[in-house]
Amino acid sequence: MSQKARGKQGLIFSIQRYSTEDGPGIRTTVFMKGCPLTCLWCHNPESQKFHPEIVFNDTRCIGCKRCVDACPEGAITFTEDGPRTERGKCQNCGKCAEACPSGARELIGKYMTAEEAFAEVEKDVLFYRNSGGGVTVGGGEPTMQPGFLVEFLRKCREKGIHTALDTSGYVKWETMEKILKHVNLVLYDIKQIDPVKHANYGGVSNELILENARRISCKGIPMIVRVPVIPGYTDGEENIRGIMEFVCKLDGVARVDLLPFHRLGEPKYRKLDRNYEFKDTQPPTDEHMQELKRIVESFGLQAKVGPK
Amino acid sequence: MVEQKLWEASEMLSPRVRRLRGYYFLDEQREFQNNVMSFTTGIPNDVVYQILDFISVPDMLGGVLKANRDGLAAMAINLDMPVEFWEQPLIIRKALFFQRVLQEIPVDILDDELIVGGRFCTSLSTCLTEEETEEFVRIEAELIEESERILKLGLSCGGITPGHIIQNHAKVLQKGFKGIKEEAEGLLGRTASEAKREFLKAIIICCDAIGEFSHRYAEEARRLAKKERATRRREELLKVAEVCDRVPYNPARTFYEALQATWFSHMVEMIAESYPGPGVSHGRLDQYLYPFYRRDVDEGRLRREEAKELFQCFSVKHNYAYDYQTIGGPHGRNAGFGQLITLGGQGANGEDMTNDLTYLILQSFRELNMLEPKLNLRIHSATPKELLLKASQMVRDTQGSPFILNFDKIVIEALEGEGMSHDDAVDYGVVGCLENTAQGKDTSGTVDVHFNVAKSVELALNDGEDWRSGERLGAETGDPLQFESFEQVMEAYKRQIRATIQYVTGITSACDALRGKYVPCPFLSTVIDGCMEKGRDIRDGGAIYNFTTFNGVGIATAADSLAAIKKVVFEDKRLTMAELLQALRTNFEEKEDIRQILINRAPKFGNDDDYVDSIAREIFRFWCQELSQYVTPTGKRVRAGYLSWNHFIHDGAFTAATPNGRKAGEPISNGVCPSQGCDVKGPTAAMKSVAKLGFDILPSGASHTISINPTTLQTDEQLDNFAALLRTYNELGGTSLQFNIIDAETLQDAQRIPESYQNLLVRVTGYNAYFVGMSRALQDEIIARVEHKL
Repeated sequence: MSQKARGKQGLIFSIQRYSTEDGPGIRTTVFMKGCPLTCLWCHNPESQKFHPEIVFNDTRCIGCKRCVDACPEGAITFTEDGPRTERGKCQNCGKCAEACPSGARELIGKYMTAEEAFAEVEKDVLFYRNSGGGVTVGGGEPTMQPGFLVEFLRKCREKGIHTALDTSGYVKWETMEKILKHVNLVLYDIKQIDPVKHANYGGVSNELILENARRISCKGIPMIVRVPVIPGYTDGEENIRGIMEFVCKLDGVARVDLLPFHRLGEPKYRKLDRNYEFKDTQPPTDEHMQELKRIVESFGLQAKVGPK
Repeated sequence: MVEQKLWEASEMLSPRVRRLRGYYFLDEQREFQNNVMSFTTGIPNDVVYQILDFISVPDMLGGVLKANRDGLAAMAINLDMPVEFWEQPLIIRKALFFQRVLQEIPVDILDDELIVGGRFCTSLSTCLTEEETEEFVRIEAELIEESERILKLGLSCGGITPGHIIQNHAKVLQKGFKGIKEEAEGLLGRTASEAKREFLKAIIICCDAIGEFSHRYAEEARRLAKKERATRRREELLKVAEVCDRVPYNPARTFYEALQATWFSHMVEMIAESYPGPGVSHGRLDQYLYPFYRRDVDEGRLRREEAKELFQCFSVKHNYAYDYQTIGGPHGRNAGFGQLITLGGQGANGEDMTNDLTYLILQSFRELNMLEPKLNLRIHSATPKELLLKASQMVRDTQGSPFILNFDKIVIEALEGEGMSHDDAVDYGVVGCLENTAQGKDTSGTVDVHFNVAKSVELALNDGEDWRSGERLGAETGDPLQFESFEQVMEAYKRQIRATIQYVTGITSACDALRGKYVPCPFLSTVIDGCMEKGRDIRDGGAIYNFTTFNGVGIATAADSLAAIKKVVFEDKRLTMAELLQALRTNFEEKEDIRQILINRAPKFGNDDDYVDSIAREIFRFWCQELSQYVTPTGKRVRAGYLSWNHFIHDGAFTAATPNGRKAGEPISNGVCPSQGCDVKGPTAAMKSVAKLGFDILPSGASHTISINPTTLQTDEQLDNFAALLRTYNELGGTSLQFNIIDAETLQDAQRIPESYQNLLVRVTGYNAYFVGMSRALQDEIIARVEHKL
């Protein structure tokens, strides 16, 4: 079903409580599904598509074959290695997940109203208050679902909950502006300063992203810039220097977070029957991260490495 | 951060303390051993070992206790009590015998010690006549049989346990035993009742006995001083002699005297009860020692470093309780003895009571890193941030968990709810593992009974019969196939709880009556308020507050099971009751799909989900309220707790497969923790689920463990968040909390190469234990819990 038909519902793939790496204090992060970028290294591949998807966790499968019978498309066959899904046939209807007793098959992505999502994040309001925390929306790209997002964030703000938006910035300014009215802190991803490389790695050019960063900065909303450090793609000193030359001209940048590449996303690719191209890529060394940190600091910016 | 083996002592220790600590860890190679000494009156068949004191320990099943009794009787030192002794009433005989023991027991002062008092592991005669012994043993045998029966069926244990008490140390320091004796003499002059007069005479004998006992140490110190060549040590020994001449008989004047007095009355209490270590606790030591500390420091007599060294000398002594375990039982030095010190907390008007001594004790503890004593930190709304951050760092840096946290808000409300005065409630201390009691006036029997509340699910699904043996244990609640709604299942469950409570309270009451009549403890009565005023021994209801605590075990297993029946059978109709019962009966053999449905298609306690949390709350409160109707023969009100100790493993071994997908024999849930591995929404959700149970009616407290990966506590920001987590738990009405700060790799490594991890401590359910000394089952259990990180 399309986003439009769902009205103001948001497609959410995870709500994580006691999230402590997405802004200050104890937070709940609402992960929204669907992203206009297609970064090769994405460690949340289940966040990319704009519709629910079936994932398969082989370690939980007990081989009962209920999924084979449940699939109306005949997309699942049972082999020696367990059930195999023909992704071309699969319509992501979720009937196999419903039939699966062990939770090995799971439909990722759930449509929720702003009220429903708010009811979930409201549960930890005392923890937010005592820690200076709040709610973060991330993804995927949350700004792609503005109807839901504005309503959800407004509710949070009405209850005095601190809000943070984790965004790639790749969205029309008019949309971004509407959302920002309800945002206390922006976590802004800038991955690559070279527009051609950015398009090659992420599927889109970075011009809109940089332009939006400037505009957010003019509004005086505090910002934490986050740079994924991906070996061979974004980890070069010239890239970091380039980004910082841009960032140091912005107002309101509280900190720059350098996020070292990790391979924890690998099993997720397998669960989605997708190919992971970073199997053999090593995470950047601590020395390299420290070196990049020094570069950031040389621009008079505060820098932090991590989380890993 | 410097990579440091977590279980090593700090480099900060003074050479003296390092030597004292090192000496202790020589174990069997030590010349000094605090081995158990048994003493008999010399009558035939004298009972020198109380089997019922230890009947609640599952590891002791199968004749161990009987063997201990026989062994201790055979090696008992005959004090050959004179004829006049036998003309006295029992309470006086007990006091006289105790006095003789304090004259006979060896006095040992170890090299370098500043705080002295060595041998305290005893097994004392019950002091009964032959005739009394006969009756005692006859009744006891029946109770042992009953207790063992219910333990073997995984239902409960039935006894009454000693220890788990806080003496009125403040009074001992202020008045000395001389002052207490004078109080008894005053009462004696005004008392006509013969029984009360005898009791008061016994108190007076006990006060004299401990006074004479400390003089024996003074003499020993002087003897050693005489032959000591080193001037410095000679002076130290003369100082020891001076202190022991003074306290605990006279009021303490200095911090040194106060520490020595506290150790003497602590160790003598263990001699008197023949129950070393388990739960014999100090209460709010940082409060009642503080005036002595402050004055000495202010008047320039004591430097902070000296105070710390004295405190560490005092601390090391507690560890010698473990020498007791050289007798019987497979414990080794792994069982928690729980000599607790309560730190911090609020005062009568909500003000914070943290002081410099609080921090000094925390620091001492961190440097010393030994098993005993253990710390409990009281957290309340005004706990200073500095203390919270220090606590959070210690949680990160020490192995296992450095302490248990108790949360004032709900504890005080609950203690007042059970009838405690406001002043006593705000001044509560902690005994055993985490159990809240009043200080110096309370015998709450906090580990008397551990009761399997998950077993009632089995009984409700089997018409009240034990599934394995077919023995009737509970009520006849009918054929579960006839249940037409979830409400009927719940009703059957509650009827089983009610019936089994009635059964077990019967056994506990009989134990209580037997002990009240035949096993008085006059020394303990001298240091617990209420006994002298009432003229009654502590074992006979003398204390101001008298309770016996029934600890529920397996609440999450029960709640998850009931929720699974509600959801899977009655609501979603994924399974029929017949399918469910058949799968349970066959222990899910070839029914893995059914087991998976029960695991994955029903909500689990610990995830802040009201569907199952409300069921947990309902049965939790039903259990508490049902218990509160009972009173034992000596006037102990029955109250609820939720401390599993190691019963969750034992009881699990004798509990059939349960509808939450747990297989027969596997452990049931521990304390008020979610079922193993079932809380998947992080610590805030787990805390909220647990707090929803409603601890306003559970003053004793409950054990809740959260496993934490130390990497989540590295940065200042993370520590701040952790401190906020604790503050919020208090606000939510959480009762107590402990942490396992261990990564699974370390533990698996310890399983592979145990010899390299002899000192690795982990916290189990309210106590620290040496990991390598544990059973494989418990080790695996802890690893499973650790892997499921915060």
